Amino acid sequence: MPKEELLISQLKKGNTKALSTVYDNYSGALYGVILRMCKNEAQAQDLLQEVFLKIWNNANSYDPAKGKFYTWAYRIARNITLNALRNPSNLIQNEDLSVYSNKPEEETIDLDFVKLNGSIKQLESHHQKALELVYFNGLTHREAHQQMGVPLGTFKSYIQQALKKMRELYEVGALVLWSLIECI
Amino acid sequence: MNEMKNIRESGLLERYLLGELSPLEERQIQDQLEADSSLMNHFQTLEANFEQIAQENAIQPPAELKDTILKVATVNEVNTHETNSGSALKSYLAIAASLALLFGVSSFWLYSQINTMEEDLRLVQEEKLQLKSNYERLESDLAETSKWYTLVNHPDTEKFILKGNDQSPNATAISYVNHKSKSVVLNAKGLPTLDNDHDYQLWADVEGVMIDMGVIPKNSEMIAMNYIPNSESLNITIEPAGGNDHPTVERLISNIYL
Repeated sequence: MPKEELLISQLKKGNTKALSTVYDNYSGALYGVILRMCKNEAQAQDLLQEVFLKIWNNANSYDPAKGKFYTWAYRIARNITLNALRNPSNLIQNEDLSVYSNKPEEETIDLDFVKLNGSIKQLESHHQKALELVYFNGLTHREAHQQMGVPLGTFKSYIQQALKKMRELYEVGALVLWSLIECI
Repeated sequence: MNEMKNIRESGLLERYLLGELSPLEERQIQDQLEADSSLMNHFQTLEANFEQIAQENAIQPPAELKDTILKVATVNEVNTHETNSGSALKSYLAIAASLALLFGVSSFWLYSQINTMEEDLRLVQEEKLQLKSNYERLESDLAETSKWYTLVNHPDTEKFILKGNDQSPNATAISYVNHKSKSVVLNAKGLPTLDNDHDYQLWADVEGVMIDMGVIPKNSEMIAMNYIPNSESLNITIEPAGGNDHPTVERLISNIYL
């Protein structure tokens, strides 16, 4: 049984060590998404806790045949965060909400902190923006194309082109890595 | 093939990955993925890249958050187990209570049934004793009646009716005498009732001497008296209670010659 599959199998059995490992593997990626969506660290931490408890309690509903574990966990994080943003009354409040509602968004978040990193930075800016909106800001394609002010068809082609470029970048990266290993 | 190409180019797979599609659309995509391995490979690459982008853009949450989450998860697990065991305990208690109630009701019903049966049994036993007593009495009566009947209807038995004299004009007694079997039976039903201080007594006259044949018991119908051979007459006198050695001839109420 592959390592990942074994880990998820243990998680489904209620093994807290497995939860600990799953947290180590995915908390950063999920927190990156949640924080970029809500742009509030305290809220993002509360939501990350909610996400992991849902992962813990609903692990048995994950079906590996339908996709990777990260994809499943990402959907949970996205839904929980979107719900929290749509229904502020349901938030786990660690501070008075009125404080947040009166503050400009910029004051609650260090913009540098949520800047995109890695291969995505090699994309053209409009491709970067398109992926950021749907992957990290939780927008649907329909919402994102309006945000970018381009037609839906154009936006879809931005996504397609961006993903193709990312695929190529990762393939090149993998080839380089492979060559390095060969040389060693 | 065109449909596959359409799925790849329409952005449906990307939207499926993000969870944007309706359940129906998701189902359709899943069917297509299961049916087409190249489409599945494409999707898996998409997923892998998606995860890689996310990992490259990971932001580490505060270290203490992990401890908090693990603690809450552990508490949740304990609570869930406690709740489960609690609800299981409640279920067991409910089953036990139901069974206890059932046994209680059954026991009470059985107890009532036993009481009823015991009462019935007691009544039956009483009736049985009553019937037995009746039967014995009837048997005894029948035996006695048969005995008297046999005696009075015997061809050798002679019947004599003793009628009361002036002292007791309403008195009547019937005597049955059988010289062969040497027996005398008296039917004293027709004699007037005496007070407690007096009894009737039967006498046989043998050559001028009155010989005692016995005191006639009160409230008796057929009484066997002493047979006295060579008796010439039967006589009834009123004597002090318990009888007398000698007849009180002044109080002779009836006599008959044999």
